[in-house]
Amino acid sequence: MEGLWNNIDYAASVVLFLIGLYAVIAKGNLVKKLMGLNVMETAVFAFVMATGIVTGGDAPILGAGAHEPFANPLPQALILTGIVVALSTTALALSLIIRIYERHGTIESEDLWGVE
Amino acid sequence: MAGGQWPAVLVISPLVGAALCLIVGRWAPRAVGYFALGVFTLVSVAAGFITYTVSAVGSFSYHMGGWQPPWGIELRFDEFSVSIAVICLVGWLALMFSLHYVNHAVPEPRIPYYYALFLLCLGGMNGFAVTGDVFNMFVFLEILSLSGYALVAITGERIAELAAFKYLVMGAVSSLTILFGIGFLYALTGSLNMTDIAQRLSSVEPFPTGVAVAALTLGFCVKAALFPLHVWLPDAHAIAPSPVSAVLSGLVVKIGVLGMLRMYQVLYSARTFDLGALNTALMWLGAISIVMGAFFAMVQEDIKMMLAYSTISNIGYIFMGLGLASTFGIIGATVHIFNHAIIKATLFLGAGALIYQTGYRDLRDLRGIAKAMPVTSACIAVGAVSIVGIPPTAGFLCKWYIALGAIEAGRIFFAITLLFGALLIFVYYIRMLNAFYFTPATHPHLLQVGEVPMTMLIPIVILAVLCLVMGIFGRIPLSFIEPAVIEMLAPVGG
Amino acid sequence: MRRAFVIALLVLASVPLLYGVGQLPPIGSTDNPTYTHVVPRYIQQAEEEAGAENIVTAIILNYRGYDTNGEVTVIFTALVAVLGVLMITRSDSGPSVPISPVPVSPVTRFIVRTLSPFILMFSVYMVLYGHSSPGGGFQGGTIVGALLIVLSLVTESADVQRLLPPAVKVWLQPAAVLAFGVIGIAGLLLVGSYLAFPVEGDLVFLRVPWLTVIEVGIGVGGAVIVASIFWAMEGSA
Repeated sequence: MEGLWNNIDYAASVVLFLIGLYAVIAKGNLVKKLMGLNVMETAVFAFVMATGIVTGGDAPILGAGAHEPFANPLPQALILTGIVVALSTTALALSLIIRIYERHGTIESEDLWGVE
Repeated sequence: MAGGQWPAVLVISPLVGAALCLIVGRWAPRAVGYFALGVFTLVSVAAGFITYTVSAVGSFSYHMGGWQPPWGIELRFDEFSVSIAVICLVGWLALMFSLHYVNHAVPEPRIPYYYALFLLCLGGMNGFAVTGDVFNMFVFLEILSLSGYALVAITGERIAELAAFKYLVMGAVSSLTILFGIGFLYALTGSLNMTDIAQRLSSVEPFPTGVAVAALTLGFCVKAALFPLHVWLPDAHAIAPSPVSAVLSGLVVKIGVLGMLRMYQVLYSARTFDLGALNTALMWLGAISIVMGAFFAMVQEDIKMMLAYSTISNIGYIFMGLGLASTFGIIGATVHIFNHAIIKATLFLGAGALIYQTGYRDLRDLRGIAKAMPVTSACIAVGAVSIVGIPPTAGFLCKWYIALGAIEAGRIFFAITLLFGALLIFVYYIRMLNAFYFTPATHPHLLQVGEVPMTMLIPIVILAVLCLVMGIFGRIPLSFIEPAVIEMLAPVGG
Repeated sequence: MRRAFVIALLVLASVPLLYGVGQLPPIGSTDNPTYTHVVPRYIQQAEEEAGAENIVTAIILNYRGYDTNGEVTVIFTALVAVLGVLMITRSDSGPSVPISPVPVSPVTRFIVRTLSPFILMFSVYMVLYGHSSPGGGFQGGTIVGALLIVLSLVTESADVQRLLPPAVKVWLQPAAVLAFGVIGIAGLLLVGSYLAFPVEGDLVFLRVPWLTVIEVGIGVGGAVIVASIFWAMEGSA
C-alpha cells in the first residue's frame, strides 16, 4: 500500500482511464462516448507525464537562473505528440457524428442499432 | 551503411506524396490517381531494394537524424520488416484498381482526399513495420488508423459513417491501451528502443511487466480483430470501397498481428516472463475465431460481408499459430500473414469488379455471372481455392505448417480444429462459386455486361496468379522467415 | 442492469492495474530508470549538440525529429479525413449560416477584434523563440488557429475565410509536412541521414535557420489545419 501511496499520481490516472472507459461503453449518446474517449486520452497523458516528475525539478530550459535537477524532458516531448494525436481523433470523430446526425437524425445509439 | 538512403525514401515519400496529392488535386483533379500511383511506385522500388538487402545481408538498421539509439530513433530491418514487400505489392495493385473504381464509388469532390488517405494508410503501415522505437510505432499506428477510419466513411453511403464511427471508437480505445502499455514499459526501463527495452526488461519487477504486456496484447488484439474484440470489422470492411476493403482486410488487420510479433520479439529475448498463459489464451481465442468466423460467413448473403467474416476466421488461424509457440506454428502464422493478404486482396478486388459492373452485392442477384465476366470469376475461383488451402495454392503450405506446429506442441485438438475450419471454409466458398457458375442467372440482363476496364482487371489477374505462384514456390518465404523465428524462440528453447 | 455489470467488470480490472502501478519505481525520485538512462545526455549536451536551450524542443525537433514528422502527418491526416468525410457533392454554397442562435454582443466583437493583433504577435513570438524559451511551432500555431476560429464566430465567417483563399490554403495546409520533407532531405544531402542536423564543422550555422524553418512550418501548418477543420465542420469548407 505504501508503494501505491507514493505513486498516487499513477493510480489517479488509472482510475480516470477506467472512468473514461465506462463512459465509452455504457453511455448511449455518441457525443458522450466521445467525451469518455477524451477523458481516457487525458488519463494516459497524465500517466506518461507522471513518469517524468522530478521532486524539486526545474523546467528543462537552460539559460540564466536554471538550476539542477531538471524535470525529465522526454515524457513532455512524447505527450506533445500525443496531444496532437488526440486532437486528430476527436476532429474525425466529430465529423462522423455530424454526418450521422445529418443522415439519421439522431445520435443516440439505441435508436441507431436498428438502422443496420 | 547497408541499405543506403532507401529507408528514408521508403517512409517519407508516401507522407510527402499525400501532402502533394491535395495540391495536385486542386490544379489537375483527373491526374491525382496517376500521381499517387507514381509516388507509390517509388515507395515500392525502395521496398524492393530493402527486401533484397535483407535477404542478401541480413538485418540492418538506419539511424534517423544520425543519432545513436536509444537517444535517437532507429529503423530496424529484420525479416519481419519484409512485410513492406507485401504492403507495397497489395497497395500498388489496389491503387491501380482504384483508378477507375473511384468514379463509381466515391463522390467526385472527395477523390483527391481518397488518394491522399490511401497513401497515408500505406505509408503509415510501412513506417509501422520498419521502426525499432515503441513510441514511433504508436505514431505510425495512429496515421494508418485514422486514414483507415476515414476511408471506410468516404463513400458516404448507407451506414458508412456509422460503421466508421464504431471502428473509430474501438480503434481509438485500443490505441490508448497500447499507449498505456508503452508508458508502463517506459516507466519500468527508461527506454523507448525495442532492443534496449528487451535488454533491460530482465531486471525489473515482473508484475508491472505483466500489466504492460496485458495492455499491449489487448490493444493489438482489437486491431487484429480477434474474438471477442472483432465486432467492428464486418460492417467496416463490407461498407468500404472495394480497394479499401482489400487493403483493410489484407494489410491493416495484420498490423495488429505484426505488433504482437514485435512484442513477442522483445519478451522472448528478455526471458523474464513466462508467456504460457498468454499463449494458451491466444490459442483458444484463435480457435474460436476460426469456427465462429466460418459459421457467420456461411449465413451471409452480401458477398463483402461474407469475405469480412472470412477474414476474422483467417486471423484466428494466425493467432492460433502464434499461440502454439512452436517453430512450425509461428512460421506458418507469419507466412499466412503474407499469403492471406494476397488471397483476400484477390477476392475483394474481384468482388469489387462484380459490384462495379453489375451494381449488385447480394449472392442471390449475382447468380450466373461467370458467363458474363469469365476472367474475373476465374480469378475469384482461384482465390477461393487458395483460401480453403488446397495444394498447390498459397493457402495450403501455411495451414499445413500451423497444423504441424500444433502436433509439435502436442496439441492435437487444435490440428483437428484447423481441419474443421478448412471444411467450413470449403462449404461457403463452394456455395459462392456454385452461385456464380452453375446456377441460372436471376437477372438475365446481367449476361450482357462485359468485363471491367483493364486497369481494374490487371490487378485481379496478377493477384490470382500470385496465389498460385506463392503456392508452388511456397518454400521460399517459409525458409526466409525461419531464421528470424528460430532466433526469436531460442531463449525459450523453441 | 447492464451498467452494473460494466461497473463491476471495470472495478475488477482496476485491482491488478492498481497493484501493478504501486510496484512501479516511485514518482519524483532521481534514481528512476526514466531519469538515469537516456535523459542525462539530453540535459547535458542538448545545447552543444542540438543548438537549442529548450531541451524539450531539442528532443522533439532534433533527437526525435522523426516522431514530430509523424505527428504533423497525423494532424494532416485528420484534416484530409475531415474534408473527405464532410465534403459533399454541391460546390461552395452561399453565405454561411451564423453559428450561435444568440446574436453576438458588440462588446465581445469589439474586444476580440482589438485584441487580435496582440494575440497574433504573441503567437509569432512563441513560434520564433521556441528553441530558447517555452513555446514552439505547434503551440504558436494553435493560438493562431484558435484566433481564426474565434474571429469566425464573432464576425462573418466568410470574411475571415477570405483571408485564406483556396489557392493559398491548399499550399499552407501541408506546410508542416513539406517543411519537414525539405529540411529532412537537406539534412540527407548535406549531413548524411534524413533529418540530420550538422553538429560541428562549417555547416553548424545552418542549425538554427533549419530549426526555425521547421518551427514556422509547423506553426503555419497547424494554424491553417485547425482553422480549416473548423470551417469544414461549419459547412463551408
